[in-house]
Parts: sequence; C-alpha cells; structure tokens
Amino acid sequence: MALPVQERWDLVDAIARKTVTAGIYRQNLGDVLGDLTVRPLTGIAVAVAVLYAFWSIFSSFAGTLVTDGFMVKAFDDYWLPWLQEVWPDPASIHYFLFVGDPLAENCFEAFGMLTSGLFVSIGVVLPAVLIFYLMMTILEDSGYLPRLAVLMDTVFHRIGLHGYAIVPTILGLGCNVPAVTATRVLETRKQRFIMMTLLAIFIPCGAQLGVMLEVIPDAVGWVMLFLLFGFGIFGFVLDRIIPGSNPEILIDVPPYHWPLWKNVAKKLVNRTKSFLKDAVPFVLFGVLAVNVLYLAGVIGALADLFEPLFVTWFGVPKETVGPLIAAFLRKDLAVAQLSAIAMTPYQMITAVVLVSIYFPCVATFVVMLREGWKELAAAVAVLAATVFVYGGLIHAVGILMGVA
Amino acid sequence: MTEPSKTLLMVGNPNVGKSALFNRLTGGDAVVSNYPGTTVDYTKGLLVVSGREYGVIDAPGTYSLEARDAAESVTVRLISENPGAAVLVILDATRVERGLYLALEVIERGRPAVIALNMIDAARDRRIVVDTHMLQKILGVPVVPTSAVTGEGVRDLAEMIRKAQKADIEKVRARADGRFNEPERSGGCAGCGLCGGC
Amino acid sequence: MNRNTSMVTLYIGLLGLVTLAFGLADILAWAGMIQSVSIGVLEIAGDDFFRWAWGGAVMVFGGLFMLGSLMSPGTMERSAKAILGAIMVWIIAGTDIFARLCESIPAGEEAPEFFNSVAGFIGGFAPPYSAAVLLLPFTLVIVYFLFNRKSDEA
Repeated sequence: MALPVQERWDLVDAIARKTVTAGIYRQNLGDVLGDLTVRPLTGIAVAVAVLYAFWSIFSSFAGTLVTDGFMVKAFDDYWLPWLQEVWPDPASIHYFLFVGDPLAENCFEAFGMLTSGLFVSIGVVLPAVLIFYLMMTILEDSGYLPRLAVLMDTVFHRIGLHGYAIVPTILGLGCNVPAVTATRVLETRKQRFIMMTLLAIFIPCGAQLGVMLEVIPDAVGWVMLFLLFGFGIFGFVLDRIIPGSNPEILIDVPPYHWPLWKNVAKKLVNRTKSFLKDAVPFVLFGVLAVNVLYLAGVIGALADLFEPLFVTWFGVPKETVGPLIAAFLRKDLAVAQLSAIAMTPYQMITAVVLVSIYFPCVATFVVMLREGWKELAAAVAVLAATVFVYGGLIHAVGILMGVA
Repeated sequence: MTEPSKTLLMVGNPNVGKSALFNRLTGGDAVVSNYPGTTVDYTKGLLVVSGREYGVIDAPGTYSLEARDAAESVTVRLISENPGAAVLVILDATRVERGLYLALEVIERGRPAVIALNMIDAARDRRIVVDTHMLQKILGVPVVPTSAVTGEGVRDLAEMIRKAQKADIEKVRARADGRFNEPERSGGCAGCGLCGGC
Repeated sequence: MNRNTSMVTLYIGLLGLVTLAFGLADILAWAGMIQSVSIGVLEIAGDDFFRWAWGGAVMVFGGLFMLGSLMSPGTMERSAKAILGAIMVWIIAGTDIFARLCESIPAGEEAPEFFNSVAGFIGGFAPPYSAAVLLLPFTLVIVYFLFNRKSDEA
C-alpha cells in the first residue's frame, strides 16, 4: 500500500518530531570558510586558486620531477641506445616495428613499440595520471566538487546543463571513461547527450594532458583555451538545436571533511592498476598498429587522400593523418606522435586541438555505446561536424592573427 | 539462483555513505567520495555474518523510488528485480527527514527493512540527537546507529540484518500519532522489531 | 584588549596591502609593463603566463580577502576572510616551494647521475624567492592571532 506524497511527508514530519532533537549549533570557523567557497565573489577566487594549485603541482611533479628529471634520462641515455645496439638487423621489419628509427636520439622520435610506446606510457603518462588522480581524489573526498557545481550552475545553464555537470567534466579530465558513466547523474536525455558529446569532443584526458605538458609545454595554454571556447560555443549551439528540457536542480552540498588517507590510497591504487592494465597495452598496440599501417602504405595513401582537407582547410601538414589514426586508440600517443612532425607552433596547436576533438578513444567509444547506440551515433555526427567547423575556425583565427 | 531472502539491497539518499558502509560490511572496494552521485551503477559483494551469507548490493543513491535520473532508475530497477531481498535503508543522521521519506517508501512496498542511521558521529558533532529506540518503535523495523568512517556500529548492523522486518504503514502512522496500543502481534511484542518477529 | 584588536587590524591591513601590491607586480611583470625585478632576496621574473599572470591574480585575491576581512561584520566572518587570504598566499608559496623541490631532486639534464648531490639539492633552495614565499612567515602570524583570540574567549 502506498501513501500519497503529501501524506508521506506529513508522516515523516510526525516521526521526526518525535525522534530528532537538534541542539544549539554554533557555527565554527570551518563552516564560515566553507560558506565563502560557494559565495560567487569569494568562491570564484578560490576556484581560480584551486585550479592554479592543481596545475602547478601536476606540472612540477609529472613534468619537472619524474619525466624530465628521471624518465627522459633513463629512456634516452640508457634504454634507447641499448636497444638500438642489441636488437639485430636495423633494416628489418621487426626492427622498425619494435625499435623504430635506428638513428633516433630520443624516444619520441624513434617510434618503435618498445621505445616510444614504453616511454609514452610509463615515462610520461604514468606519472601524470598518478599525480592527477591523487589530486582529484583529494578534491572528491574533501567535498569541494559539489561546491564547484554550485558556483558553475549559472554558467552551465547557458549551455543546456546545470552545475552538476562539473562532476563529469572534472572526472573527464582524468579519464573520459568514468566520466561518461557519471553523466547518469544528469536528469534528462538532452542533458546527458550534450554532456557526453562535449566530453568526448572537448575534454582532454589526464594522459593527454601529461603528454602535452611534456612535448608542447608552451602551447598547452592555447590548446586548453581553444578547447574551453569550443566547449562553450558548441554547448550553446547544441542547447539550441536539441529538443528537451534542462530542469533546475538543488545541489546537495555535503560538509567538508579531511580526506581519509586509507580511502585516498585505495582509490589511487585501483585507478593506477586499471591504467596499467587497460591503457598501457593500448599504447603499445597503438604504436604497433600505426607502424604496420605505415609499412602497408595505408597511412601514406590516406595522407594523400586527405591532403586538400588538411593543408587547405585546417592548415596543418598532411603527415598529421598518421597521428589522427593513432588518436582513435590513444590520444596521448597521438600527441606524442605529432611532436615528431615538423610544424610551426600554430600548426602544432591546431593539430593538437584537432587530435583532442577528433574521435573519442576506443575505450570511451565502448562506454558510450553501452549508454546507448543512438546517442553514440548522434554524438559521432556532431563530432564530425565539429571537427570540420572548428578546425577551419582555428585556422581562420590563425590567419587573422597572422600566425598561420 | 541465490535464495531470495539472502539478498541485501542497500539504498539511501545520495552521499549518506552507502558505499563506505558497503565496503565496511563486505570488505569490497566500491568507490567512495564526498559528493552526491559517486555511485551510478551497482556493486555486488558478499557478507558472512553468524554463519549466514548475504549477497549485498550497493545501489546508487536516490531521494525517492520515483526515479529522477538514470542513476536513480538503476536503484528502482534493482528493487523490483529483487522482490525477496531485504532492504537496508541508510539514513544520514544529520538529515533524518529526507532519508525517512525513502525508508517509508520501502516499508510501504512491504519489504523487510533494516535502517542504518549512518554518520552518527557527524550528528553528534552537530549536537543532533536521534532517539533510536523511539524511531525503532515507531517504524517497527530495527534501527542501528553507525559510522562507516570510524566503523562504529557496523558489527551491530551486520548482526541485525537477519532481523529485517516488514512493517504496516498504517500502524506506523498510528504509532507516529502516539497510539502504541494497537492489537498485539503473535509473540505479544510491542512491534519494536528487535526480536525479529519470532 | 582593545589595543590588541586594533594592532591585529593594522597588521592584517598592511599585510593585505603588501600582498595586493606584489600580486599586481607579478601581473605587470608578465604583461611587460615593468621590468623583471630582482632586488636582494626578491625576484619577480614575469616570464610565463601561468605563474605570473594567473598566480599573480591569486595573490591579488589573497590581498583583497585580507583587506575585505577588515570591513566584514562579525568576528567569525573577519577571521574566515583573513584565513582565506592567507591560504591564497600559501597556495602560491607552497606550489613555488614544491616546484623548487621537484627541480632539486634530479641531477639535471647534463649530469650523468640521476640524483642531485646534497649540496646541489640544498643549493636549489637558495634565494632569490618569489614574493609569496617571502610573505609566507608573515601570513602565519595571522593564524597565531586567531589562536590567541580563541584562547582569550575560552
């Protein structure tokens, strides 16, 4: 037997009156501080500072300390020369597939499965995702995320979403796979579709951020700016053309508390494990697949085929076709590959933005499929249009600024 | 097929600590965070207590059994797919009212229920006192104060699961109005649910 | 007691002004409006957008919070804003120190070893410092004031 909603609430009140007594609660300093982080004027300043801390620690740890400090030296001075020396027959196919260029002086340029593949996954991306997940876990467990959601509510309403969309967005900066599943917290199909599409197109994952930080440190800001603008512009457009509603919600803000180190450690271990298990093989396989396609002449043929589109419309060299194929497997790999192609800085920015917005990586593709094939098909259609329009737009901006 | 009575479904409002409690009960590793909507899919685990085995399901948080989004509909589906399951309703002791709404919905559906009053430590810090015995008496199902963070009360909760109790909503209403002298049950108990109705 | 309170107000006000000024200097140095500064132990390089423009903005917010705390109603709100201002400085100082730590542990690209020598490691922390690092000890005084006040109330 079910009660009508109002009667049920009356009953709740009656029970609560008999069982719950709230004592006098004195607001403490922590509460007032917490309150300051959601008030727009002070909250935005705090958000700016939090983002600063996030990126600064990320780049110091992953870039300066682990990758530049140790990994580059270990891979370029020891691993690569050793492999080049002991692997037999530099002219053979297997040398090309596994070691790559016999004359390469660093692991980015060699592009063999055991050189670039291992370097990108272990040397660059692993430290990046490790520190990224550590900081994200702290953000998650402290209770800051829902506060960020409150702050961003007005902004997200402009693009057909509400503040809670910040949760999948931030998760997506780590990895798009859990982010796509997290879109379930959004109410309507319209919201979920917009969020999933924007995630797949405009949110670079932690692995990709790590590689960008390593290979194009000066251009990361520009790439992020273009992606952010794209997120806004295309969100705005999608909101206008997709039918459906965007209901207002009340965001539940939990109290702040210190993250429990046990929980942080557990999440970190689980996420790192799944990275090693799922991502590393993909990077290695990706290098192998691209090398095979290259040998088979497929990449050369595709490059010639798409030359007009790439050179005239996007303003990037036709060689970028190769990385775009790798981008389907792993975006981090694709960015690493781009870095070995000779380009002007602006072409590099354009190419990296294209790699980001172009097709979601295969893992994201699979989870999107699980959430609904119709949505996936529509998202891919939006994506194709976006790559074409936005790629041209960036080229146009470059021409206007006189840099392309 | 597992025996229907041995499935335990964990439901509750978002961010009341279901997953943390689930991890405590089953030793599993469901992802726990401090924001509503962390769990968007269910996790299964196994709890063995006093020689009994329970398949425990940690469901996504929901405010009511009328689903509002895709994560909530997972929970609603889980409830209808497991008709024989006992339901562990987890309430946030600092926000009892909204949790009670969901608990009543579960009770109205005639499900054997146990209530965990989680975050009891946070409630204490905020000087909120919940009369557990009174709540138990009114609802007619076992109520156990717990804290998934510190582990307080988790043992008691595990022991209490086998006493999951169905309750009649009309009687709950009568008791909430202060009428406790309704016809007694077979064992002559007051309907506190503590004894498991035996 | 009264004299004590006005001293705290004066201190936080001055610190707020200095923080604000340094924050603006960071941004101006990045924008090229002022030459990069290196006076004694202080250095404002202004060489990249992220550290100087963005980080400078965080310093500006920190200064504004401290100044804003003086105009806020209620003890609690005042303390909270002053603390938040101090936290802003800590974020910049903390990340600066962390960056130095990360630079000092490895030996550097040219050296054959992996780890830095102890002398090299310590040398990595030599002056000059950014304004935030220099302001760090002064912001800690705010925390001292607050604890002092709490024990007064108790």
